[in-house]
This record gives sequence, structure tokens and C-alpha cells, in this order.
Amino acid sequence: MIAGRIGPAAPQRSAGGSAALAIAVKDATETWRDGRFRWAAGLLLVLLVAAMAGGVQHQSHIARQHADAQLAERDAWLDKGDMNPHAAAHYGAFVFKPVQPLSAIDPGLDPFLGVFVFLEAHKQQLARHRPIEDASPTRRLGLLTPATAALLLLPLLVVSLTFSSFAGERDQGTLRPLLALGIGRASLLAGKALGALLPLLLVIVPAAVIGAVFVWLNAPADPDAAVGARAVGLLALYVAHAVIWTGLGLAVSARARSQATALVVLLALWFGNAFVMPPVAMAIAKRVAPSPSAIEFAAAIEDEKLTWPTWDERVDGVIERFLDGEFESTLAPANVEVVALLESEAEETALYDRHFARLFEGYAHQTRAYERAGVMAPTLAARVLSMALAGTDDLHDRAFSAAAAQYRTRMLSTLNSELAQSGRLNSFDYVRGRDLWEKVPPFDYAVPTAWWAVSQRSWSVVVLGGWLAVICGAAVWGVSSMRLE
Amino acid sequence: MIPFLARHEWRVLTASAVVQWAIAIFGMALLAAAGLGAARAARDGRSFDAFAQRTSHQLARPASSRADVIANEKGWLAVMPPAPLGALAVGQSDVYPGYLKVTARNLDAVATGDQIEHPLAVASGHFDAAFVVLFLYPLLILAVSFDLTATERDRGTLRMVLAQPVRLGDVVIGKMIARAVMLALPVILIPVVVTLATADFSATAEAAALRTSLPIWILAVLAYGSIWHGIALLVNSRGWNAAANALVLAGLWLIFAIVGPASTNLLIAIWYPMPSRVEAAVQARAATQDATVQGSRQLGQFLQDHPTSANVGQDGMRQFAMLQAARDKQIADRLQAVEATFDAQLQRQQRLASWLSVLSPTMVAQGVLLEAAGTSASRFDHFRAEARAFQQRWKAYFEPFVLDAAALTTAQLEAAPAFTYTEAPVSATLARTAGPIVAMGAVGLFLLWAGLRAYRGYAL
Repeated sequence: MIAGRIGPAAPQRSAGGSAALAIAVKDATETWRDGRFRWAAGLLLVLLVAAMAGGVQHQSHIARQHADAQLAERDAWLDKGDMNPHAAAHYGAFVFKPVQPLSAIDPGLDPFLGVFVFLEAHKQQLARHRPIEDASPTRRLGLLTPATAALLLLPLLVVSLTFSSFAGERDQGTLRPLLALGIGRASLLAGKALGALLPLLLVIVPAAVIGAVFVWLNAPADPDAAVGARAVGLLALYVAHAVIWTGLGLAVSARARSQATALVVLLALWFGNAFVMPPVAMAIAKRVAPSPSAIEFAAAIEDEKLTWPTWDERVDGVIERFLDGEFESTLAPANVEVVALLESEAEETALYDRHFARLFEGYAHQTRAYERAGVMAPTLAARVLSMALAGTDDLHDRAFSAAAAQYRTRMLSTLNSELAQSGRLNSFDYVRGRDLWEKVPPFDYAVPTAWWAVSQRSWSVVVLGGWLAVICGAAVWGVSSMRLE
Repeated sequence: MIPFLARHEWRVLTASAVVQWAIAIFGMALLAAAGLGAARAARDGRSFDAFAQRTSHQLARPASSRADVIANEKGWLAVMPPAPLGALAVGQSDVYPGYLKVTARNLDAVATGDQIEHPLAVASGHFDAAFVVLFLYPLLILAVSFDLTATERDRGTLRMVLAQPVRLGDVVIGKMIARAVMLALPVILIPVVVTLATADFSATAEAAALRTSLPIWILAVLAYGSIWHGIALLVNSRGWNAAANALVLAGLWLIFAIVGPASTNLLIAIWYPMPSRVEAAVQARAATQDATVQGSRQLGQFLQDHPTSANVGQDGMRQFAMLQAARDKQIADRLQAVEATFDAQLQRQQRLASWLSVLSPTMVAQGVLLEAAGTSASRFDHFRAEARAFQQRWKAYFEPFVLDAAALTTAQLEAAPAFTYTEAPVSATLARTAGPIVAMGAVGLFLLWAGLRAYRGYAL
């Protein structure tokens, strides 16, 4: 039935096409002449540009700080003077998280994640000093970023453009005469959709151009960083999200009893998508995959360590095993403490790896559950994708932390193997210098590609595509079955 | 006359299907938020009970009786009891740690107890009573008040009402009272009743904290509500039609509750950037470099971390402890200078930033609600200060034993200081909340007064 209505014969289709265009131009012109729209669109554009300017300024400031700190840290590591290799492991190394260029567009989880990791012997740590800890408490109410402007404020403008599309004509009694002119419902829908999207371009195009210029001028600290694909992905995402809301607005407007009802329903959907769903989805995710509190996590590690032998017992154990002939002759008795140290180091690394892996598996599980909720709220799926494309979500943080942990293992094994070979751990005067420190290469982290980021969030891509299809279908169904008065 | 008009308006409102729906959704949101909060508070309470006594239990049967192991490695797990109204607002409790491991030696013991929480959860915020109060409550106020008199005037029924011996001002006051009461009842009663029903009154300290926190919370909610009622009244008094009122009020909500705070935070980030932790870490590293390197030369760093009496003997251990204490002190002094500079800078920036929060009632109310709930940064600061003071006592008690490289007897272990958290005095909370509450109430009353005054010129 629907196909019959919207798929008339070919000649009519071209007439429908011009009618759709005429409707679009009329609607767009009316919108443009409406002072309220110009104000709202102007304000949104100003907010977007301000958010981009602020984001870029903040991003470049932080990126420079981190890059400088990493260089200073490398110098400190090399120039720390002569000391015992194990002392060098205790001296440790800082690695600073590189700041992604597109965090200027969507800082994502960056403010809620530690900015550096301290790598040292015996202990593996979480990244420290999340910016949110130092921020003023009002920061918890949200920050104006280009991403929030595009994903939360732009849909509001879309709602204001679409809620009266059909309901308004119906309220005024012009819907039936319009269709009586011979315009097909499909053409009407196409015209209304285009009529809403054209004025939106007045915000999206300048914002995209200015954003591109900002990001380009703010050349990333790491010139190899591939920004292009991620930036294009972000733009496509924001436009697709706006199109979803346009379809939603048109569908609701077609079915609502009056334009006031359409507006209320759309605003309620917006509020639910933007503000209620994120915390609710997270609450559900936590129920599905509970994670330990900080104190429980720390206590679990400590409890396990309590069952271990003390240092003295460990050394005695090694001596006993040595006397039992368990070791090969290359390890002299003087080396029992080296053996004990290497063994305890390996056990500790395994312990931390196990606990952290379990914690992060729990987090990943929570993120997946959160992502699932995108089925109920397209904005949620768009948010997840936006952070992934900007390189500021928990997956990218995991990738960085994994690289840091790997670097720690390499650093410790370089220093420890030196000790094992020397056999002179337990000696006041066994010290090494710069030549050994140089054997530990500087920390280098390759940011994953855009494709990797998207493929990790394939659920959200599918969900958003599904939303696009379902909403388009809903708009077509809504228009084909709408009442005329 | 006004009570009669208010009762009449109440009957009209409660008969409206739209209002019934709105109140039902509001009530359910409040119930869900309070229920989730109560479950969370119960979990926090169990966690506190489980861990508060952990250290003293462990000290009763120590794995090692070496003084340095107990003082420097075992330490004491200082745990902060759950906030008095933590069920109502998660606040900053997902950012700052509610426990700290205190050791005599660990130089940044008070900074290592990072809170673990999925960053996505911190970023998403929480669906708690504070969220409902800050965002949904104003929206509901505006939703039931956007059409105070507009439609009645447009239909001409307002004229008929005023043909009776009533004044327009009284009619408007009656309408406002009915609406204010209708929303204030659920927004106050539901969270408070759920909290009282699930709170544990066995501890007198908790009961006392509740006695001050609850009234502050209630007053803050009412004062915040009065501002939004005032805004609604003022917009209604302009004489636009109902649709225009709705649009303007929705815009004001968006500006004051959403865009205002978000833009203010952007301004804060640009104008008053917080000092960089990264730079501070590099500076701390540079400041302590000499002491660390020099110290390790003196000690033989391996021995510092793994000394045994077997390899250096008792005298060697004493000498080692002395050297280590001297080195620790040197590093601590230098770190303190870096940290003091950083903290001073941080506080200055936060003070400057806090002035900007007066731009939005939502930002002011958020601060007061968290303060009342006990999940604001100030309670965590207090806890940290208490833990720091305890660290001094812990260190002072163990230092002689550590310097003597002694093993501790059971009696000596039992006499070790124990951490107990003392809540900050009520006056401190009052001092932080009284000003903002009075200010919000004053602004609310002023807006209501201005709205009523403007109604005098209302064109029928």
C-alpha cells in the first residue's frame, strides 16, 4: 500500500521531484525569514565556534605540556647519574599520555582519565591525576565542546525546524489542500525533509569549515598523527546524527495530534537521549557487570600479597633450592638475592597483570553494555562513536596503558638482566651509568588508526545505521498514514 | 481568600490529565533516583564496615613484627565513613578516594589512593536525586506554570473570574501556591522518606549528621525551586500567549541549566586553567633528583628496599634506618615546596572560577546540594587533612622503633595509634551553605515579587 502511494509512474515522479523542491525552497525561505531561527542558528554557530576555539587552545596547550614533559623526563632518565640498576628501576620513569589532535573537537573521556603513568619496580599503577580531580566542582555539570554542541544542541535546532512540518500544516488546515494539488506524499516528505535540512546547512557548513581550519592551524605535536580520516568520520557522524533527528522530527510531526504535542514529544525524546540515557545506561551496565570499588580492588591485591613469603623467607627458600641442586651452575650462591628479586618481580608483574586485566575486562564489559543501550537512544550511539573517532575513549586509553605496561616490562627486563649477568646485586658499589640507561629506548606510542577505532565500535556503527534506516522508514510510514485534519 | 483560590486551583490542576502524567513521571524519576541511591549507600555502608577495622585486625596477627615493615609498608588503611546524605547525591565521591593508605614513610601516601571508577561512568554522571532536583524539577515547574493565565485570558474566562470580588494578584498567588506545593511535596518527601527509611540510625554520629544535613538539603531545594517559580511568574506576567511563554521558558531553562554551566566551564578552562599536574610532576622529579641519587649512593639502593638483618646485621640495619630517615626528610622537604606552590595555584584558580558559578542558579544549587549531601570536595579535603594529621602521629609513634631497627611486641602494636574519622563541625557546613541558600532564596523572592508587581499591568 505504501509502495503504491509513494511509487507512482515515472513522469509523475519528475513532477513530484520539482514539487518536492518547491516545498523545500518555500519551507527553507520561511525558516530563514523567521527571526527566531536566525537568532537560534546564530547562537548555535557562535557556541560551536567558541567551543572549537576553546577546545583547540586547550588541546594545543596540553599537548605541548605533555610533549615537553616527555623530553624533560627522558633527559632526567639519562642524566640521573650512576646507580645500581635495581635502584634505577625504583627511580622509575614517567610516561605522559599524548593528547589527540581531535580531542579539541571531542575531549571524550580525557578529563576523566589519568594523564601520566609512573613505571617502577614491583608496582604497576593506574594512570594518575585525572584533570577532573583539579577541576572546579561545576565541571561535573558538563563542558561546552564542539561534540556536545553537535550532538546535543544541534538536534534541538532540528526539533524546532521539524515539529510543525506536518502538524503545523494540519493545525492550520493547509495539509489537505496541499495534497489536493496532486503532490504525492513521498514528494511532500522529501520536500519537508529538504526544507529542514537546507537551513541546517547554514550552521553545519560554516562550522565544518571553521573547524577544519582550526584543526589544520593547530598542527599536532606529532606530525605523523593521521587526523584526516578521523576528522572526516566525525563530520559524517554529526551529519548522520542530525539527519536521524530530522527524520524523527518529521515522523513525530506527521503522527502527532497537534504541533504542541509534537513539540512536547520531541523535547521529551531529546531530554531522554541527551540527559537521562547516559547515566541510566551506565547504571544498567554496572548492574550487568559490577566492578570493584577502589578499596576492594586495592585490598584484593594486598590480600594476595599477604599470602606470599617475606623477603627473608624468599631468600632462604632460594638458598634451600640451591642446596637441593635445583639451579644450574652458572648461578653462584652469591646470587641468591638476584634470583629472589627476579622471581618476586615476575610474580608481582603477573599479579598486577591479572588484577588489572580483570578490572579492565569488567570496564570493557560495562562499556559494551552501555553501547547496547544505543538501541534505545541514537544520541548515545553517536556519542560512543564520536569519542572513538576523536581517539578519546576508554579503548584508546587501554591501548596507551597497554603500551606503557609493555614498556615497563621491557625497561625492567633490560635493567634486571644486567643485574643477573653481573651477579653483583647485593653490593654497595655496583653502579652503572648512562650507557645502560641508553639501552632503554625512549617511550614511543603509535596511535591506532581510525579504521581500528571504528571496527572496535562496530556495534554502534550498526546501531546508528539501523536508526537511520528505521527512522527513514518511520517517516515514510508516518507520512503515508497521517491524518489530514 | 488566597487559601480558597489555592485550594480551587489545586482541584483544577489535579483533574488535568497532563498534570497527572507530569507528576507521575516526576514521582517515578524521584523514586528511581532515591532507590538507586539507597542501594548505593547500603553498599558503601557495607564496604565501610568491612574495611574500617581491617588494619587493626591485621595488626593483631602481623606477618612480620619488624617495626619498619609495619610502619613503612603495612601502614594503616584510613577509611572515610559514607556521607550522611550520600544516597541523594553521588557528587564527587566517584572522583576522590574514600580511603587512604597511610604509612610513615611513603611520601605521597595521601595521594596514592586513587578512586577507581569507569571513566565513562564519571563522564555520564549519575541518575541521583540531585540530578532530578537540578534538571527535572525546574523543567516540571516550567511545564506546569507556562500557562498561568494566558489561555484563560485568551478565552475570556479570566475576565469572568475577575468579575467576582477577587483581585488578579490574589488569583495569581493562589495559582502559584498550588503549583509550588504540588511539586515541592514530591521533590522533598520522596527522597527524604526513602533516605530515612533506609538510613542506619544505630550510630549517633550519623543521626546527628542527618539532623543538620537534611534541613540544609530541603532548604536548598526550596530556594532553588523559588527561583524557577519566580522566572515562570515573571514570564507569565509579560502577557504573551501560552505557546510563546512555553518557548521562552524552555529557552531560559536551556540557558540557565544546560548551556550556561557548560559555557561557564569552557570560560573557566580558558581563563583560569588549573596548574598542570604534568609540569608539577616534572618539577617534583627535578627537585628530588639530587636527594634521590645521593641517597641511593649512600645506601646502596637495593639495601634500602630489601634490607635484611642477615646481610648487614642489627647495627647495619640501624645505620640504614638512620640514613633512610635523613634522605626521606630531605626529599619530603623539597617535595613539600613544589606541592605547596601547586596547591596555592590550584586554590587560587578554583576561587576565581567559583565566582563564575553565580551566573547560573543550577551551578549554585549543585554546590549547596553536594555540600549538604556530604559528597562535595570539602568533605574529602577534610578527610585528607585528618589522614595527614594521623600520618604524623603514626610516624611519631613508630620512628623510635624504626630507627632502632626493632621488632615490635604485641603490646607495642596494640598501643599504636588508630585512625578514627571525625566529621567536620556543623558550623563549617553551615558557613559554606548558608550564603548560597540565602542568596538563592533572595533571588527567588525578588523574582516572585517582580512577577507579581508586573502582573499589575497585565492586559486582559
